[in-house]
Amino acid sequence: MLDAVSSAEQEHLSTCGRCDARRVSMQRLLEEVSETAHAEADAAFPLERLNRQQARILARLQHEGRPARVIAFPAGHAPHEPIGSRTRPASRWIAAAAVGGLVVGVIAGRFGHDYSFQRAGINRVIASRTVEQPELRAPVSTGAIREVAASISDDEFLDQLESAVDAPAAAALQPLDDLTPRAWEVR
Amino acid sequence: MSRTPPRRAPAPAGALAPQAPLSKDSHLAAEIKRLVAVGERDAARERYGELVASQQRRAVRIAYQYLRDAHDADEAVQDAFVKVFTHITSYREDLPFEVWFTRILVNACLDLRKSRSRRLRWAVPMSATNEVAPAEPTAPDPSPEQRLVSRERATEITAAVDSLPDRQRTVFTLCHVAEQTTAEVSQALGLSEATVRVHLFRAVRKLRRLLDRA
Repeated sequence: MLDAVSSAEQEHLSTCGRCDARRVSMQRLLEEVSETAHAEADAAFPLERLNRQQARILARLQHEGRPARVIAFPAGHAPHEPIGSRTRPASRWIAAAAVGGLVVGVIAGRFGHDYSFQRAGINRVIASRTVEQPELRAPVSTGAIREVAASISDDEFLDQLESAVDAPAAAALQPLDDLTPRAWEVR
Repeated sequence: MSRTPPRRAPAPAGALAPQAPLSKDSHLAAEIKRLVAVGERDAARERYGELVASQQRRAVRIAYQYLRDAHDADEAVQDAFVKVFTHITSYREDLPFEVWFTRILVNACLDLRKSRSRRLRWAVPMSATNEVAPAEPTAPDPSPEQRLVSRERATEITAAVDSLPDRQRTVFTLCHVAEQTTAEVSQALGLSEATVRVHLFRAVRKLRRLLDRA
């Protein structure tokens, strides 16, 4: 702005020392402001940072224009089906089915619980240990919960326990057993 | 890394007419546009690297003056350069590239400032004091006393420029930091040249009042 001096202005400045001094001082001030701004920015952005920035810009441009990979989910679903008309009835049906399932589950659970207490002669025992003996396995594979007949005697039980301990699989646990303190050792 | 070209004499109104000689970067941008148009994106990207190197210094100066944060300025400059390349086909070859780029850069800075103010609204302030970061010394002064004076002066100048209203600060930055003519600034900001001159006059008057020691 200050660089533009018309001929009329130049003529005035050549005769008026006060205006010329003012112009010079303003010019100096603006140069100072500009130099300070440049110095600040240059200190914040040294050459290495500019090089890094340039590399990042070009790296970003490498990926520019490539089509994005879209993974279809769920697989085989019609992609152009209108969402609004599809999700709302579906979500209603799912909610209704969930509520229905919950009600049936609660009723069945209550009924089954009552019925089990009415059954005579059979006690249900939940076994928390898995024994390797095949004859102790429940006929139906239901995980760790098995029915054990209450009629088994103590002798039979200890006999089964000893045979389980003597099994080759138990030998692997022997070092661990040695490391484990006994109840009588702990005071 | 090329430096900012020396400041041109301010052009009169209408100086950005098609017959005005365009800069080397404008010709380079036109070439990149042609390469992209014919599908030679790799070659265009290579040439664009040259354009980035040429405009980068000027861009970070503008962005840093605007945002006052090196990380934000870095991000704004990167975004602006990426946006320029992705929209290079809409570049008008009869206009200076610098004007078009400056417009995109200023918009990127404005977007970043908006998002930063949004972030700060929800952030817990770390310190109650609002201190201005001390500026780096402008030149290695021989004595510590001179260095201190220089640093204080730089802090004063930074604070004075920061105190300008947004529009005045933008116009002042583009004219005196980015070294653009008022005609170019008017095109970059979408304002009339008279409006740019008024903002610039007010900015300079205020700075003079704040900084003039005489």
